[in-house]
Order: sequence, then structure tokens, then C-alpha cells
Amino acid sequence: MRKYIIKRILLCFLVLFGVSVISFGILHLTPGDPARLLLPDGSSQQEINELREKLGLNRPVQVQYLIYMRGAIKGDLGNSLYFKKPNLDLIKERIPATLILTSAAVFGSLLFSLPLGIIAGVKQGTFIDLFAMLFALLGQAMSPVWLGILMIFIFSVKLRILPSFGYGSIQALIMPAVTLGLPLAALVTRLARAGTIDVLSEDYILAIRAKGIGEKKIITRYVLKNVLIPITTVVGLQFAVFMGGAVVTENIFSWPGIGKLAISAIYGRDFPLVQAIMLVVATFFVSINLLVDIVYTLLDPRLKFN
Amino acid sequence: MKENIKKTEEITKLKKRSQLVTRLMQSKFFVIGLIVCALIVILSVIAPFIVVHDSKLPSLANSLQPPQYFSKGWSGNILGADNLGRDVLTRLLIGSRYSFIISVSTVFCAIVFGVFLGLMSGYYGGWLDNLIMRFADIQLSIPQLLLAIAIVSVLGPSIPNLIIVLTITTWPQIARLIRSSVLVVREMEFISASKVLGANDLWIMFSQILPNVMTPLLILGSQQIGFIILVEAALSFLGLGVQPPTPSWGVMIADGRDYISTAPWVVLAPGIALMITVLAFNFLGDGLRDALDPKMKT
Repeated sequence: MRKYIIKRILLCFLVLFGVSVISFGILHLTPGDPARLLLPDGSSQQEINELREKLGLNRPVQVQYLIYMRGAIKGDLGNSLYFKKPNLDLIKERIPATLILTSAAVFGSLLFSLPLGIIAGVKQGTFIDLFAMLFALLGQAMSPVWLGILMIFIFSVKLRILPSFGYGSIQALIMPAVTLGLPLAALVTRLARAGTIDVLSEDYILAIRAKGIGEKKIITRYVLKNVLIPITTVVGLQFAVFMGGAVVTENIFSWPGIGKLAISAIYGRDFPLVQAIMLVVATFFVSINLLVDIVYTLLDPRLKFN
Repeated sequence: MKENIKKTEEITKLKKRSQLVTRLMQSKFFVIGLIVCALIVILSVIAPFIVVHDSKLPSLANSLQPPQYFSKGWSGNILGADNLGRDVLTRLLIGSRYSFIISVSTVFCAIVFGVFLGLMSGYYGGWLDNLIMRFADIQLSIPQLLLAIAIVSVLGPSIPNLIIVLTITTWPQIARLIRSSVLVVREMEFISASKVLGANDLWIMFSQILPNVMTPLLILGSQQIGFIILVEAALSFLGLGVQPPTPSWGVMIADGRDYISTAPWVVLAPGIALMITVLAFNFLGDGLRDALDPKMKT
């Protein structure tokens, strides 16, 4: 078990190395001279050369990479071209917003879909089951691009009860969180329902029932535990995806998070910022995946011996 | 004697095939998905021949024309016009072509890469397996959309670039799937038998292992088509995919965003089209999975 964890952690470092190379490479693959981009138009060639020397752009690429990584470990991810502030600071400012949105989305979906899926599995064939299936099917086809706009149309334009942008109030949080979380809710409903059906058809459930243990206890103890195992993996993965990929939702609702920062950085050709964001997001992603893997092995006793 | 054996083999094959078709037809999902998908694909193929308006030419006098449905017959703006006066239905149909071209090419390329690398990885194992899987892990550790956005910002948004980027983000899943199937099939006796008989590795991989790993591949492939259509729409929506004035559902939604209160049809039409298309492909994928591999049913 410990060997597995150590192996996984080493893998993480390898992966982060790969990601850092990719994100570094992006800045250097872009056409155009980074120094020229930094200086105002009309600067003399000499000024450009001086800046190149100062930024170390004349040294071989591998050396530049090492210098960058040395800075990165210390927390210096370079400065944004547009904002003229350290990248890490900019990212730190926006993380809370994305975190709030992601947590709300994940928490909200689970709150809704977990009970729905389990009840649907218990009461197969009833109206609730049908509803859950429909919900799961439709939810998976609703991408944020469409769903967000649809919600704005219904709730902001027609019904006028929710704001279509803004930050800080619960009302402003509802629509983005639902937009982000609905596909996840659909998936969890499916998994919960299938898991419930599987568990309830196992022999040991029959044995427990024969012993006289009530339905409620069966559901909360046995079904829930078993169902949570695959769901934890999925939710963990999705959380990580949201952190980096809530880009579209943040764009639609003007939510001031990392995604929106990434988009404006890309539009503005602010490549140091893009590079920094990629590195930070990938680090998050890898760490959360690692955490999920470890939790997964803890939750499922069958895996302890592998 | 030989003819009898051959005949029995052929009859068994036919029986299996018709059993499969029966199972497929029994799945309501599959049938509905197949019909709708076929409809959409046919529409998008014949689109250039049946559209009456131009999909890119602005006509400002016609700006924000509400849907006329069939009041003017086929030549009016059946689903209305956007802010530049372009007919929504026309753009919808032409846009579907781009969505399909991009998603089908992407899935195709991703399958070519993914299957090849997955076969190599699963069959040979060892350092090759490690290397390929580490690459896959690195890929998978950057959120798909973010990686696509980053690469597109470097290479520039054009359709071939889009296909390249989306292939890059999709191949790891396919490779992983193939690899795990190969790991199972590799141990089977008929493979050892072929080896003993002197077959070379490539032949074993492509003629014996590959047909046996087709099932999960088919399922994943059909799911991915729907998914890639959504990713392309998201990229186009953000301005990093298909570029205006070329119509694409994502671009249409982005364009229409500003007019949502005054002219909702500009946004609703592509949005609903997107939803229905992805639903249809999901149904198709689910139906395939139900028919081919009921063990995976959820």
C-alpha cells in the first residue's frame, strides 16, 4: 500500500514536469519576439536587444527553462504582460471565486442527484425512476454553452428573478453553479441508481433482510457506502476539471475566476500569464487526482491488498 | 466434409450477425438515436443544395427578423435572421457540417493514434508501455478544454488546427481503453497458438487482437463524437474555434448572446440543435452499449 502511494507521488512529479515543459514551450512556440511584445511599439532595436539580454532570452532554451523552473519553485511565475503584476498574485486573487463556484456546483449536484439516484434505484419502475432516467439522459447533453444561455433566457430575461452576472450574492451564484453542475448531477444520478440496483441484488442484502434489519438501515449503511466508491472518483475528477475548466461558465456569467482570467490572457496574448495559469491548474489537477486515488484505496477495502 | 464445415461456419456467422441486429433493434435508445442521427447527418450533407439564403452574406435590412416559419413558404426566414440579417436556418444547416467534419475527423484520428499506441502498449508491455502511458497521463492531467485553448492560442484558430488539438486531447482515453482490453486478450490461448505457429507480432496485433477489442472502442467512439461536438461548440463560443463569418453552432450562440432579450431565436435555434444532436449521439452510444455489452449497463 505504501509502495503504491510512493509510486503515485513520483508519477505526479513526472507529470508535473511534463506539464511544465508543455506550458513553457507554449510561450516559446508563439511567433514573435517576446521582448518585442513587452515593449511599446516603436522602441528601437537597441532597447529590444537590451530587454532580451535582461530577460535572458538570448540564452539557450534549456537554460531558460531551468531558470523559469527555479523561479517557479520559489513562487515566482513571471509577470503578466498586460496587468504588469506578478502572475501568481493575479491567480491567487481569482482562485477564491472559482473555488466558490466549483464547490457550490459539486455540493449542489451531489445534494440533489445522490438521493435521487438512490431512491430511483430502490423504487425501480416508479415515476421517480423515470424522472431520474430522463434527468440523467437530458443532463448529459446540456453543455454549459447552451445551458447557461438558456437559463439566462428563462430566469433573467423572461422571469426576471435571477441576475445574469455579478459576484457576491447567492442569487448570482445559483445559475452559474447549476450550469456547471448539471452534467455532473446527471452522471451521479446514473451511477447512484445503477450502484443501488447492483447492491440491492446482492446475496448478502437478502441475508441481512432475513436477519430483520430495516430497509432504512440497509440503504444508509450498505447501499450508500458501496455507491459512494465510484462516485467519489468521478466527483474528485470533476472537481479538478471544474477548477481548470469552468472557463465557459465563467465567461457566460462574467464570474471573476481563473477561467475568465485565462481567456482574457489568451485574447490579450499575455503568454506568461497563460503559462502560469496552465502550470497552477495542472498542479491542482494532479494533486486532486492523487488525493482521490488515495481516498479511493482507503474507501474500498478490497483494494488494500493490491 | 470440408464443405459441411464451411457451411456451418457461414450459417453461424449469419446467425450471430442477425442476432446482433435483432438486439440492436430491440434497444429503443439505439433506434431513436440512429434515426435522429441519420436525419441530422443527411440534412447536413445535403445542406448546401437545399438552402435558399447565403450563410455568410450580411443583409442589414433583414436584421433581427423574427421567425416567419412558413408564412412566406420556403424562401422566407423560417427561423428568423440574426443581427446581420443572415438566415438562421441556413446557418444552422451549414454550421452542422462544420460540427460533423470536426468531430468525426477528430474521433477518427484519435482512434487511429489511440488504437495503434494502445496496441503497442498493451502487447509489448515493458518500457514502451510505461513511456506511452506516461505521455497519456501527462495529457490527461491538463483539463481538456484548457489545453485545447492554450494550443489554439498558439497555433491559431483554423479548422485543421482544431482537429489536431482535439485529437491530442482525445487519444489518451482511447489508448487506455485499448490497452486494458489488449491486456486481457493477450493472455488467451489462441494468441499463444498463433505465436507457436510462427505468426509475426504485427499480424497478431491487427488480425487477432484488434477484432476482439472493437466493442468497447465502438462504444467509446460514438460517445466521443457527441462530446467533441460540444467541445468544438465551446471553443467556437469562446472565439477560439471556427471563426466568424463561418457559421458554427458555437459561434451562432456567441453572436446571439447580446440579443437574447430582443431576438431570442438567434440563440435558441443553435442551442436546441446542439442539444438534440448530442442527445441523439448519446442515445446511439447507449444503445450500442446495451446491445453489445450489457455488462456495462448503468
